[in-house]
Amino acid sequence: MKHPILLLVLCVTGALAQAAKVELDPSHWGHPEGENCVSCHAKASPGLAEQWRESAHQRAGVNCLDCHQADSADVDAITHEGQVIATIVSPKDCGRCHQQEFEEQAGSVHAEAHAIISERVPALAHNLTGAAMQAAGCDQCHGSRVKVRGDGSLDPTTWPNSGIGRINPDGSKGSCSSCHGRHAFSKAQAREPDACVRCHSGPDSPDKEVFEASKHGMIYKANREAMNLDADTWIAGQDYKAAPTCVTCHMGGAGKIPSTHDVGLRNAWSLNTPVSARQYLVVLESGEKLELPADQKPPKRGSELTKADGGTGKVKMVVGPDRRRQIMSMVCLECHGKTFTASFMDQFDAVVQLYNGKFGEPAAAIMKGLYEQGLLTPLPFDEPLEFIYWELWHDEGARARHGAAMMSPNHAWWEGMYLVGRNFYSRFLPEARAVAGGAAAELVDSVLARSDHHRWQSSPDAANPILGWSPPPRLEPDTSELEESADPSGQSPRAGAEAQAVAPMTEAVPVSPASEGRGDD
Amino acid sequence: MIKLRAPLFITRHVLFALVAGGLGGVVFMFFLIEFDHFTSSNEFCLSCHSMTYADDFYRQSVHYNSPSGVRASCGDCHVSEGIIMATYDHAVGTKDLIKQLFGPDYDDPVINTLHLPEAAFAARDWFRKRDSATCKRCHTQEAILGTRANTAAIHQEDAQGKTCVDCHINLVHRPVPERQTFKRAAWNSMVEEEFALEPGAAAALLGEH
Repeated sequence: MKHPILLLVLCVTGALAQAAKVELDPSHWGHPEGENCVSCHAKASPGLAEQWRESAHQRAGVNCLDCHQADSADVDAITHEGQVIATIVSPKDCGRCHQQEFEEQAGSVHAEAHAIISERVPALAHNLTGAAMQAAGCDQCHGSRVKVRGDGSLDPTTWPNSGIGRINPDGSKGSCSSCHGRHAFSKAQAREPDACVRCHSGPDSPDKEVFEASKHGMIYKANREAMNLDADTWIAGQDYKAAPTCVTCHMGGAGKIPSTHDVGLRNAWSLNTPVSARQYLVVLESGEKLELPADQKPPKRGSELTKADGGTGKVKMVVGPDRRRQIMSMVCLECHGKTFTASFMDQFDAVVQLYNGKFGEPAAAIMKGLYEQGLLTPLPFDEPLEFIYWELWHDEGARARHGAAMMSPNHAWWEGMYLVGRNFYSRFLPEARAVAGGAAAELVDSVLARSDHHRWQSSPDAANPILGWSPPPRLEPDTSELEESADPSGQSPRAGAEAQAVAPMTEAVPVSPASEGRGDD
Repeated sequence: MIKLRAPLFITRHVLFALVAGGLGGVVFMFFLIEFDHFTSSNEFCLSCHSMTYADDFYRQSVHYNSPSGVRASCGDCHVSEGIIMATYDHAVGTKDLIKQLFGPDYDDPVINTLHLPEAAFAARDWFRKRDSATCKRCHTQEAILGTRANTAAIHQEDAQGKTCVDCHINLVHRPVPERQTFKRAAWNSMVEEEFALEPGAAAALLGEH
């Protein structure tokens, strides 16, 4: 099972659509000395011992020492009651048995979570607040670079940590306990949406809130007992059908799609960037993966690429965004019709493109111009405009896109794109013009003029029923009517008529019969 | 009446020598007891400047500030009980004095920290060889209850065949890994970081001695 992508591309049979069985000979499990660990830890830390006692590991005969055993030469090896162990059980350790899961997560966007923000940490965690925030904040989701001190202890500024992109002392990336809480390693718990909530909630990736507010989340809540969360295999449509969870769409087996521990595998778009890009998934010879924007030429097989960590790797395979979308859609098809699924994806794509074209790209261009002209210092977050821009794409912009991706209308609009628009027009543009000063026409307004998205602003006297006021009708300069129309209740007969005429056009969403699919909404 | 008669070889001189020797022996024993007692005291041990680094950590430990008010001195842990073994330990311990005088400059905190692991390993070997006898001078394994519910059970069931220092190390002095997993390079770079030395400086300092 070395190349899960190959399997995906070749559309393997449904029999593989489940987590890989461990391959190591079970006769190697159950280190005899592990019994001593259990005997003592049942007394010294009964909570964790009891979690293990009720786990699938215990039933399979896997004990403490099978996972924690280390070699004396290991960087983080310590002696403990006569045994050489390591406190941290890294994905590499788990991979001694769960090889496929290890390889899948090793190149995933999750495993690179530390690398993704390592350039942001100094500006945000250190400058904006203080270094102490890194351990308690950023690193708890993105993972720390765990440091082993000369006396063998784990540096408390870097550990405890179970961030998903943790850089382990053995060089491996990630932390299985991020989702499978130690020491139970429950499958059911990892299949719960709550397993993702620690990180995927809040301003920039409110996926918990988005999911809960979506039809999927509502159905899940109402039918949780029908979800078969404890099942050995968990294939959508086969082992359960009540509702999807995060795992269902992003990792789970469904039909011909095998399950994967590469959680970003099926994502066609990048949604947490200033401007979203459709992305290639590049698989390297080493098994590592990286993502490249699809507007660049796809790298050729065998060519060399620079990885996130600065090293180079040879391209083995490139999976295009369409293929990734197709795989995600095949999960949808377990419960939805083809047209329904495709049309939903179209709606989602349209929101991302709207965000890009109307806000993301112009805002990025304006910022670039201001930096290039020296009107903003390169240092991040020392000027108000930088905060405004950061929140525009990182918070509100991401929320809008995630809301559209996961069908929470409230997050797509009120918590998302509405705030993006408000920020863009009422904070970002005024501040950008102020920063640009005399160069505003060149650096700000010319950027806006490149698209039609902002043309509505050139009609300042358009009707205004939404704010309870309409401009006086020009053609009927009757003073008594003027006063009437200034009434905050907006009861002017003409204004009312206009509002009615406008409202259906802006609110009605055309629904074509084809998008109803099989009617299995 | 039987007359007690000393053997012929007990002359006056011999008798005098025996009495003098006996008295001298008693005085010597008293001297040894006092000597061992004095040389086991914190005052004596800390009279070497280099030992102040060990003292810094000792003062942070529970063995210095125990809730019960009992305070373990250097000798309580590091000198065997009984006049013979105590004297032996002190005799062997004179090598420390010789090292202090003619060896590396242990008064230098960097040198001291760099050499600390070997000292810790030796001390642990010493404890193991004596089955942690000096620990047991105060702590009776069967009577250990602890503040946690199962501490007593652990000491009765899971500590079988082990000696105190098999589990309890790094209680008093600066933590040092066990010899088995100790990594000199990592220790050196920790010292370099702590004392703001150039990379490689620690190895160079160790090489000088």
